[in-house]
Amino acid sequence: MTFLRADGPDKVSGSGRYTADLSFTGMAHAKFRYAEVSRGVIRSIDTSAARAMPGVYAVITAEDLDARFPTPIADRNLFAHQMVRFEGEVLAAVAAVDPETAEAAAAAIEVDIEPLTPVVDLAGAATAEPIHAEWRSYDAPEGIIRDGNVAAFSAVTKGDVEAGIQAAHLVVTSRYVADASHAVPIEPRAVVAQWEGDKVTVWTSSQVPFDARNGLATVLGMPTNRVRVVVPHLGGGFGGKCGFHFEAHVAALARAAQRPVKLVFSRWEEFIAPDRRREGMIIEITTGVSTDGEITARRATVTLDNGAYSADAEFFAQLAAMHLAGPYKLPAVDVKAELVYTNHQPSGSVRAPTAPQACWALESHTDELAAAVSIDPVEFRRRNLVGQGDEGPVGQIYEHIAPSECLERAVTAAELACVDNPLDSDEALGVAVGWWPSFAVPAGAFMKMSDDGRVQVITGAQECGTGSVMTLRNMAAEVLGIASDEVELIYQDTAVAPVGPGATGSQTLLNHGWAVENAARVIADQLKELAAIELEAAAADIVLASGAASVRGTPSVSVPIAQLAATAAEGRLLLASGSAPEREYPTVNASNCVGDAGMGSWLAPQFSCHVARVQLDRDTGVCRVRAVYAAHDSGRIINPIGAHGQVEGGIVMGVGQALTEGTQYDQEGRQRNPDLLHYKLTTAADAPRIHTEFVEIDTPNAGPRGSKGLAEAPNVATAGAISNALARLIGASVRQLPMTAERVWEQIQAHNQEVGQ
Amino acid sequence: MTLTVATSLAETLRLLADGARPIAGGTDLVVAARSGKAPLPQHLVAIDRLDELIGWVEVDGGIRIGAATSHQKLLVSDIVADRYTGLADAAALIGSPATRHLGTIGGNIMNASPAMDTGAPLVTLNAEIELESVDGRRRVPVADLWVAPGRTVAAANELCTGVVLPDPLAHWPEGARHGSAYIRLEYRRAMEIAVVGAAASVTVDPNDQVLGVSVALSAVGPTIMALTDCDLAGFPATHDPSGTNNPSAADEVRTLAQEQATPISDLRASDRYRRHCVGVLAARAFEAAVARAHGDPLSIPANRSHGVGAETGATQ
Repeated sequence: MTFLRADGPDKVSGSGRYTADLSFTGMAHAKFRYAEVSRGVIRSIDTSAARAMPGVYAVITAEDLDARFPTPIADRNLFAHQMVRFEGEVLAAVAAVDPETAEAAAAAIEVDIEPLTPVVDLAGAATAEPIHAEWRSYDAPEGIIRDGNVAAFSAVTKGDVEAGIQAAHLVVTSRYVADASHAVPIEPRAVVAQWEGDKVTVWTSSQVPFDARNGLATVLGMPTNRVRVVVPHLGGGFGGKCGFHFEAHVAALARAAQRPVKLVFSRWEEFIAPDRRREGMIIEITTGVSTDGEITARRATVTLDNGAYSADAEFFAQLAAMHLAGPYKLPAVDVKAELVYTNHQPSGSVRAPTAPQACWALESHTDELAAAVSIDPVEFRRRNLVGQGDEGPVGQIYEHIAPSECLERAVTAAELACVDNPLDSDEALGVAVGWWPSFAVPAGAFMKMSDDGRVQVITGAQECGTGSVMTLRNMAAEVLGIASDEVELIYQDTAVAPVGPGATGSQTLLNHGWAVENAARVIADQLKELAAIELEAAAADIVLASGAASVRGTPSVSVPIAQLAATAAEGRLLLASGSAPEREYPTVNASNCVGDAGMGSWLAPQFSCHVARVQLDRDTGVCRVRAVYAAHDSGRIINPIGAHGQVEGGIVMGVGQALTEGTQYDQEGRQRNPDLLHYKLTTAADAPRIHTEFVEIDTPNAGPRGSKGLAEAPNVATAGAISNALARLIGASVRQLPMTAERVWEQIQAHNQEVGQ
Repeated sequence: MTLTVATSLAETLRLLADGARPIAGGTDLVVAARSGKAPLPQHLVAIDRLDELIGWVEVDGGIRIGAATSHQKLLVSDIVADRYTGLADAAALIGSPATRHLGTIGGNIMNASPAMDTGAPLVTLNAEIELESVDGRRRVPVADLWVAPGRTVAAANELCTGVVLPDPLAHWPEGARHGSAYIRLEYRRAMEIAVVGAAASVTVDPNDQVLGVSVALSAVGPTIMALTDCDLAGFPATHDPSGTNNPSAADEVRTLAQEQATPISDLRASDRYRRHCVGVLAARAFEAAVARAHGDPLSIPANRSHGVGAETGATQ
């Protein structure tokens, strides 16, 4: 089976259309006015000068649209009202004849904000002056405690930790700090809204069109069937385009301006305005180890920087807690995680939320444990990794899983490469293991075969670059026995597709794959019935392959599928729908303020091991990742080209998070590097050589054909592996992420001073 | 706003006299305007199609490079790679392929950023800058050109028309050999700007004794900084760890650079880290220049052989 991407030619040739490419007759251009102050009281917003400018069609503020984002913790207004709590808060929106006029009008709005001292120190934020003084009045899930600035918490407690620590041969405590970082999709977001009567269509660069539709309906007070959200080609998301974001701002502007309105973000806006960034963390881990290198107990605390509002981060405390427990056998564990408000930009989903930072800390700590008991880090992991039948931190008993195989495969690949190319004195290997859940959620698909045998699949899945939606085409073709280019996808349109969660949680194949296969089976059965009549055989004996239906064992007795489709077009049409099956989540034994979405979803967990070969320039602290050897248990691989691409992309992103990607803040809580020169992504020239192996085992509760997710898992372990290689080269861990050249150099100086060099 | 595509140098100089500003590749001007740093000038004159400003000619044993010559053209020029290798190192590191094809040496010089890449090698190669206006032409030693970040001694009506590089061996006895190099500290290998940088130009005699050394530093002061008191004549150019030449010439360069640098702390690095690293890089630039004087075919840019994260062997 070939896996040529259906959207590839569009994207490569430039014929594809992205949201910013769309134009409509009479269309106006939008510009926002931002707070640019991290905390303050709004004294006044005077829009009269802006409204009076020629070419300005509408200016709206909280006075025109007084609504909250319908997030689980409803703590944020669409337009700031009374208070501002981060620099990127939207105060007003302008629609004007062209972008320049809109920008001039936004600048002409007179804003008077009385600045207050912002809460920017994460360590003291929990008990600082409340950022939401009135937050007891907000809608929020049952169980939210509303204690000071703590937005959400999670506690994983199992066994007698005190006794386990007491009984340990050695106890190691480590502290790590991770800076915030960003998703940085290459396409800055764009939204176009157009009204026709009481219906609105919104084209938006979203990963989650149904969330956007529901947000629009709630905020604008409309039924969902009068709101249509369409996502043209999406220029990357990496989680940063999850959530309902600015669609309602633009729809409200279009209504006020009485014409279509387009908003296109600059790179600066893409950095400061969305309620999605990878949160900063402060992590402390204490682990006891026996003389033979077995973990006896673990205690850990993690403080996550929620930023000013809660977006989708309310369950991140759970995910962080799971990643600090890690895929290890823990007789006793006590992890406490708190998500704390600050006056920074809100945090939210970015590829494998919480995992790269927490895994980096845990895996660095794991190498420190191994060193303390003088056991090789790989051997230490062999002794402690979970396996089939073991109990996880929240009580789940693991079925068939392959973390140990991932460790062995990645380490063997790295060691083999070192036989041919021995490590130089400035090089070392570092190992890290990671895991990630599988999110089973409802999903559906419609399908129709027309009289020429061609198929349209109408899916609620969203393509954000991973290619997993493109794979659905091939899955339908295989079931129907036709070529994949005879299947077209209709997707990213809420008016026609069944509801779906969008491109989130690495779950497209896991859920939509089932739905598409089930829909295809309905049509396949109908084709077999038609063929049975034509070929005078039993329907159960009909095989669909190579565009024809034939009798099993007698391929010469066959009829083209297109002919069967033509017959059906005269009678019962070939129409179908399919759904993903309901699956049972494991029971969770943990204390969370909101549900257990971040813990119960480990029904078919994915495992990984990355080994990084790192070269360090000891005089400057600059390091280079020469190679990464990766092994992944993501179940059966359906699309090998796509799977390799996901691992390679995840690792390159992981190299950036490990070494150069960090958001710097000033004392006023404003970003200092919201641009692509100073926020340093990894370039193709920096990418390591990547060797990937897939450990394909049969997993209970997996997706269609035994598949699991793979979009986020490759972004989990890379930073930890690089950290452990660096620690070998330096003699000590670098305890702040990203491990910039200067931080590495400072650690080299500190370590050399300590050992008296 | 007006944009005039100039058809001759004389026309350009007239327009400049009337208050227009020149644009060649636009890689600084347009980027600064887009980011809101500085609006585009009201009147622009495009000089990127003036053949008389593009390319190079040999003059008096050296070369004259037209100001509108792109970094990419310099990078693939044999004469620059052979005799002014430090400049080729710098041209190879600037921005991205797009920047190198559009951006010009004259633009880089007149933009006067303290973090510019071509500045330090030009200082060590004793470059002179040609400035021309309707009032006439003059030459300014490049080290005297920059007065502050973004500011030069050029008058508003003067255009940088060329860069003159003398024969590096002109004043040295027969048998002397010359090499030059530029190395910068970079956090990634493309789309980068110098955190600090250092260039060295070294002449050695047949016995591998240093005849003359010139070192210049980028991004450690308000302008490109030439190292003073760098008198290493008579030092063995190559360090012999078992010999008596301690500290070595490279050690001296490192110490001088660290003493004379006046770095600031900003987003990219602290002053302390910059001061340390500029010494490391100056010593490496010196070593790379010596290696080139010996005829070693080091890669261009030297960052890939003597820089940070240099290639050492293949990785499977």
